[in-house]
Amino acid sequence: MASLLQPDRVLYLVHGEKKIRSPLSTLYFCRYCSELRSLECVSHEVDSHYCPSCLENMPSAEAKLKKNRCANCFDCPCCMHTLSTRATNIPAPLPDDPSKTAMKKAYYLACGFCRWTSRDVGMADKSVASGGWQEPDNPHTQRINKLIEYYQQLAQREKLERDRKKLARRRPYMPLAFSQHTIHVVEKYGLGTRLQRQRPGAPITSLAGLSLKEGEDQKEINIEPAQALDEVEPLPEDCYTRPINLPEVTSLRQRLLQPDFQPAGASQLHPKHKHLLIKRSLRCRKCEHNLSKPEFNPTSIKFKIQLVAVSYIPEVRIMSIPNLRFQKECQVLLTLTNPVENITHVTLVGCEEGDPEDINSTAKVMVPTKELVLAGKDAAAEYDELAEPQDFQDDPDVVAFRKSNKIGFFIKVVPQREEDGDVTVSFKIRHDFRNLAAPIRPSEEGDAPAEAIWLTHHVELSLGPIIA
Amino acid sequence: SDKMSDKQSAQKSAKIASGAVVCVESEIRGDVTIGARTVVHPKARIIAEAGPIVIGEGNLIEEQALIINSYPENITPDSEGVEAKTMTIGINNVFEVGCMSQALKIGDNNVIESKADLGRNMILTSGCIIGACCQVNTCEVIPENTVIFGSGCQRRVQTERPQPQTLQLDFLMKILPNYHHLKKTVKN
Repeated sequence: MASLLQPDRVLYLVHGEKKIRSPLSTLYFCRYCSELRSLECVSHEVDSHYCPSCLENMPSAEAKLKKNRCANCFDCPCCMHTLSTRATNIPAPLPDDPSKTAMKKAYYLACGFCRWTSRDVGMADKSVASGGWQEPDNPHTQRINKLIEYYQQLAQREKLERDRKKLARRRPYMPLAFSQHTIHVVEKYGLGTRLQRQRPGAPITSLAGLSLKEGEDQKEINIEPAQALDEVEPLPEDCYTRPINLPEVTSLRQRLLQPDFQPAGASQLHPKHKHLLIKRSLRCRKCEHNLSKPEFNPTSIKFKIQLVAVSYIPEVRIMSIPNLRFQKECQVLLTLTNPVENITHVTLVGCEEGDPEDINSTAKVMVPTKELVLAGKDAAAEYDELAEPQDFQDDPDVVAFRKSNKIGFFIKVVPQREEDGDVTVSFKIRHDFRNLAAPIRPSEEGDAPAEAIWLTHHVELSLGPIIA
Repeated sequence: SDKMSDKQSAQKSAKIASGAVVCVESEIRGDVTIGARTVVHPKARIIAEAGPIVIGEGNLIEEQALIINSYPENITPDSEGVEAKTMTIGINNVFEVGCMSQALKIGDNNVIESKADLGRNMILTSGCIIGACCQVNTCEVIPENTVIFGSGCQRRVQTERPQPQTLQLDFLMKILPNYHHLKKTVKN
C-alpha cells in the first residue's frame, strides 16, 4: 500500500533545543557533531537572490537597493501571476514624413491567467520591449526616507552609547567562521545579524569602529513631527446612494499588495515588480559547519554541500501491516536500507520502562535481538553479473528477505490501548558510522580505516488503527 | 405515437455550411447546423439530444470539446410536455480543448478555455472568457466582457473583448484538409 510509505509514518527523534520528531527525509546530519539536525536546530542564512521568472541572479547589495524586486519582471495586480509582454502593430507616423504612416511595434503587458492588460489601467503602450515600464511614484517617499534616515541615526547613536558603557567587557576572540557578509552594522531598525541572535545583549565592540569614524561630524537630521488634523475629508454625498460597481472594487489582497497606494478601485491597480526569492544555506549551530549549501546558479537545483540524513543514517520503512488486534501479538514487516557504501551493523533495542523519550507509544514491541547486517550500497551491482551474492546467513524468523543494501525484518507488536487512533511503537536503532569527515591522522602503519562510532536514534512508527 | 414519429423525422443529420471545416473524426449527432468558416477539430463532440444546435460563423471548436444540448437532470427523455429548446451559439467563439458547454445561448467573441464547464442555465453575452477548469453552473446572464478565472471562479471585467482568432482560423482551414477527411453536408 502506498500509504505505508508516507513520510510521516516513521519519525526519528532529534536531540536539539527542542525534541523534534520528524521523518528522516526532512532531517540533516552534521557529520562533525555526528548528530541529527532538524530545520529548527540549524541557522538559516540567505545565500543568493534570484527572480523566479527570469531566473536572474542578483547580488545582495543590489537586491537590498531594489527592495528585493526584479527589474524586468512584473506581477499582475489582479491575480498576482507573472505578466508577459505582448506586441501589437500600430500605425504611427514616420518621423521624417508625418503624412506617411508605417507599422510600428507597440508593447503592452498582459496576464495570461486573468486577462488583465496594462491598457486596463490606462498605461500607454511602450515602444521598447523591456525597461519602459515604471512603477508610479509614492507621494510620501521623501517624508518616509527622511524619517528612516533620522531613526537610523538615532539607532547608531544609541548603540554607540551602549557600547561605550560596556567597553570594559572586551571580546578578544572572534570566531573565524564569520564572513564579511554576515557582519553588518547592527541596526536597531534593520536586519539583525546572526551574532546578535545567538548572544543577545552582548556588545560587539569590535564592530563599533566600522560604523562611524571618531570625530566625524554627523549631519544633524531634524524631522518635523507629524501633525494631527482636526478636520477630516468628508465622505462624498452619494456614498450611501451610489450603486456599487462590483468589478471595480479591489479585494483586500489586491489592495494590500500595493501598500503605497492601497487603491480601492481596480482601475488604479498598477503592476508591481516581481518579488525575488532566495536560496538559503543551513548551518549547524553547534559546530558552525554548513549542512546545506546550494549552487549559486539559479537554474541549478544541485547542492555544493548536502549533508542530508538519508545519505548517512539507515532508514526504517514499513512494508506491511497485518490486522492489528487489541492485546494480540501481530507481526509487522519493516525494511532497513543502508545508504552508505560499507557494511553497516544495526542493533535494535526496545525502549525501557520510564524512558523519557518514549511518550507516544501505545503498544509493546518485541524487536529482533540479534545484530542485523546490511550490505553496502553498490551502485554498479545491477550491472555486475559476475558478482557472487554475499552470504549473510540470515535467520529466517528475523530476516524476511534481503535485496542488495536493504533487508526486510519482522517485529512483534502487541497493541495495549483499545482507543481510536493509531497504534504507535517506538524503539532505538543503534548502528555503526564511519566518519569520513574526520581529519585523517598521519598513521605509521599505512592506510588505517576510518574508525567507527556507534550512533543511537530513537524511532517512532505509526502503524494505523486497530481493526476490531 | 404521432409525436414520436414527428420527433424522429425532425432529427436530421448535420447541416454544414460550405465554408466550414469539420473533420470526419468529430462526432456530430442530431440536428446540428454549423455556419461558414467554423472549424471543428477531430474528436470534438457536438451532440443535439434534447433539441437542435445552431452554431454560427467563425467559431473554433477544438479537440475533445463537448457541446451538448441534453435533457435537464430531472426530466427523462420520454416524458410528455418537454419542448425541444434550440441551443444557439454566435460567431467568433472559441471552445478550447476539453471544455464542456451546455449553455443554451452563447453570444459572440466568447472564449471558453480548456476544461471549463458551463451549465445549461447560463447565458453568455459577448466577449466573455470562462477560464480554464472553471465550473460555472449558475442561472444568470454573464455581462459583456466578463472574465471568470481562478479556482474560486473570481470575476473581473476587462476593457476590451478578446480578439477573433482570424489568423488561427485561416491557418487551420488551410492545414486541416491536408491531414483529415472532412464531413460534408448530407443532401436530402
